[in-house]
Amino acid sequence: MRTSNGYIKAFLCVSGMFVFLFAGFPAKAADKENCLMCHKYRFLGRIDENGKRINYSVDEHIYGKSVHRIVPCRECHINITKLPHDPVTEEVNCANICHVKPPFSDENFSHEKIIEVYDESAHAIKPGDSPELKKAKPYCKFCHLNPLYTRVDEKRIAFEETLRRCLNCHQEKGVTQAYMHMTHRLRHKTSRSPQEIVRLCSKCHQDTALMKKLGVSEKGQEAVETYFRSIHGKSVILGSQTAADCISCHASSKLHDIYKKDDKKATIHKDNILQTCKECHERTNRWLVQIAVHPEPHDEGHPVIHFTSVFFTFALYGTVFGLMGLLLLETRSRKKDGIKFLLRHGTSWRGKSKRRVKK
Amino acid sequence: MSNSSGVIAASSEKKTVEDDYLTYVEGVGNVPRDIYKHVESDPKGDLPRYSFHIVIQHLLVLLTFLALVATGVPLLFAKLYWAHTVINLLGGADTARIVHRMAAFTMMFACAYHIATIFFGTLRQMISGRFDYKRTMIPRIKDLSDIIHDIRYFLGFAPYRPKMEKFMYKQKLHYYAIIWGNCVLIIAGLALLYPDIMARIFPETLGKLLPQVISKGVSFPAFFQEFARLMHADEAVMALIVVAFWHWSNVHFVPGRFPLQWAFLTGKITREHQIEEHFLEYINNLREIPEEREYMKKLIKEKGLETLPIVSVSELPRIY
Repeated sequence: MRTSNGYIKAFLCVSGMFVFLFAGFPAKAADKENCLMCHKYRFLGRIDENGKRINYSVDEHIYGKSVHRIVPCRECHINITKLPHDPVTEEVNCANICHVKPPFSDENFSHEKIIEVYDESAHAIKPGDSPELKKAKPYCKFCHLNPLYTRVDEKRIAFEETLRRCLNCHQEKGVTQAYMHMTHRLRHKTSRSPQEIVRLCSKCHQDTALMKKLGVSEKGQEAVETYFRSIHGKSVILGSQTAADCISCHASSKLHDIYKKDDKKATIHKDNILQTCKECHERTNRWLVQIAVHPEPHDEGHPVIHFTSVFFTFALYGTVFGLMGLLLLETRSRKKDGIKFLLRHGTSWRGKSKRRVKK
Repeated sequence: MSNSSGVIAASSEKKTVEDDYLTYVEGVGNVPRDIYKHVESDPKGDLPRYSFHIVIQHLLVLLTFLALVATGVPLLFAKLYWAHTVINLLGGADTARIVHRMAAFTMMFACAYHIATIFFGTLRQMISGRFDYKRTMIPRIKDLSDIIHDIRYFLGFAPYRPKMEKFMYKQKLHYYAIIWGNCVLIIAGLALLYPDIMARIFPETLGKLLPQVISKGVSFPAFFQEFARLMHADEAVMALIVVAFWHWSNVHFVPGRFPLQWAFLTGKITREHQIEEHFLEYINNLREIPEEREYMKKLIKEKGLETLPIVSVSELPRIY
């Protein structure tokens, strides 16, 4: 009887542990008004007039880990005033002021300032744009996908050690969030990796046909291709975290101020480029900035470079085939003269010569 | 002096096969050209060829070359599927970059070491009066005639291989290719590593030398950087292919050398190899090493080669 009691206790302990391990903790999203009462259902959705299937479900666990997790639904979806609500026709405006107060700040948070920067950039919709161009230009949600918090794994931040010091005075939950909020912006110029940035910009910019249609300059049409030919691009493909991506050169620390090359505000304008290069290349000079960051292919570039490229191709094949030919000739002849392949003690000339000298 | 030149003139006039075939060495006798087929050899080497310094330099260059290839080739072919895997094996793109630079500087050190060895070695030989330009890498007209002679031998038009010095035409060719390649790779590599400095040096120096070559509208720094990018990559690929397909097979995978020629580790060459490809250097060895002299004397006597019949060219096809 005593042993079976022990078994039951052990069983309960183990199953308790399993429950503890696998049950997980529900992430707490800012759902004060209980929108998730309906939106938690995974197949909540409809098929619209065009036959497009739209899903309205919100996964609490995913949303609870995203950057907007403390923003209540209606701070962005301001048009919803009653329940059950009417069909939503208007897009969310990211310039809304939400009722979240940043620490040590009096005013409520808004993305308004960065949107002002964006509105002046090359990517903003201008009154004179063609309908095609208007459609193609990216708006907030095109690039920003409400990303999850990503921990910076770089050693230079010493995440754990620094956080442990904060915990000496601060409450764990609050300071961890605030700390993550800052550190995920410390890794690079952007919180995304260079690879993600290049992938994001390439989504539109590598489509040469689309770029041509939208009236992008000839150099701009093949910008992605030429970037990958540069040392920056090659390093980024291979996983470098330090090499320059698109944003490194084409935007300042405001990140959204991307202008055309000829615009005086552009970081790549000839008056500003020295300063831009200096962000990484400390000893920049007026000669360095003339180097092509988007190099053209060798066969389209300068005639001297083209000629050298062709010369090297010929030299390569000439050398390899010439030398290999000599090698094969030599081997055949020496084999015929009686040499054996294996190097051994004694002699390698273990065969009989079958050579005939022609006159 | 006049007497000896008279002898040479007389012998060159009457240059027969037996003169070519037999080489008289004092204290040994007549050494036949094809004696290498009858000698005993130790695979690890019998006769001195490379000094300790040269062996160390070669090892340094070998190791750094492999490191440079492993970290450089994935960068050149960054878009290919294997490049990412290879670079991750080497610690990722940012680490591989540092490895590449460290290996490059080590290789540059090996070059400087080699130049110092050559310089001081030559100086020492000159002081002691032993310097002989024929035993160095200095190119000669004879190398050209050696190539032609050797190809004639391979095709069966000549009875024996040419009598070559310590460094034969293949080695000289490769040596000068390496000097050229190293200069290109070092200069172009520095341009890629220090774009700011080189972008200033190139236009200010080379730009003045070639003003008519470079057309208008192209900026000098952009041109030279692009040129350096091209030269570094193409020269490196060339070096890799020549080393992988030609040098290694030529040294280790040809008959009589397979599976490994030990010379790059021991600094010594086998007797049969020395006589076959560096006959004149072997004659020098005979003059310098008494034991070798004794060995050859005994061998010639044993094989009865000292009393070879004298044959004329017309009889050669019958014999061979």
